[in-house]
Amino acid sequence: MEEGSRSALEQAIRRMWDQFLPELKERVALIERAARALGAGNCTPETLKDAYLAAHKLAGVLGTFGLMEGTELAREAENLYEAGVERAAAASARLLAIAARLRQMIDEQR
Amino acid sequence: MPHRILIIDDEDDIREIAAMSLETVAGWEVMVANSGAQGLTRASTYKPDAILLDVMMPGMDGPTTFRELRKNPATEKIPVLLLTAKVQASDQRRFADLDVAAVLVKPFDPLTLSRQIAEILGWD
Repeated sequence: MEEGSRSALEQAIRRMWDQFLPELKERVALIERAARALGAGNCTPETLKDAYLAAHKLAGVLGTFGLMEGTELAREAENLYEAGVERAAAASARLLAIAARLRQMIDEQR
Repeated sequence: MPHRILIIDDEDDIREIAAMSLETVAGWEVMVANSGAQGLTRASTYKPDAILLDVMMPGMDGPTTFRELRKNPATEKIPVLLLTAKVQASDQRRFADLDVAAVLVKPFDPLTLSRQIAEILGWD
């Protein structure tokens, strides 16, 4: 790839990071919200589904912004939420830790 | 003539990054659709050289959209590359019976996405 194209692409990716940052943070918040509800024993199916979809979307996009660790963590959360309420509830502490790490990673990327 | 590609994905960030990547790096013409239904319409009128199709979408998902594309004479021969964030073998097996050109795994690298597609489709 020509240097000019690479530079233009990298600049565009940075602009898109800023553009989609609120959405990325909201997805992390959904993962955290469900993890807290699971820990408290009051997670609804809708909350669980929202968290699953949020984790799925983060898994698909964070690596595109260079955050491969974020993709791996989000994928782990996606699998836990997909496994159903009981398994996810048993892993609520892990899900909270994943949400915290994702938030930190996203904040540091800015 | 640059290659023409249609991206069908409900996620704004993925759709925009992929479009920008293919336009900037490869100079291809890109059209986007944010749902399977919109993708069917755009594929039929735009007649792209290839379609990048997300698997997990609300409403009409990727495999259903793919089958609809194959039913339409205007779109039946367009190569389709599935795009999915699912990496487990059981997920991948679900796509085995679909006659797609390839299954690309998210996240993709915006710097190399066009090269990956070009190699799969045999584009120079």
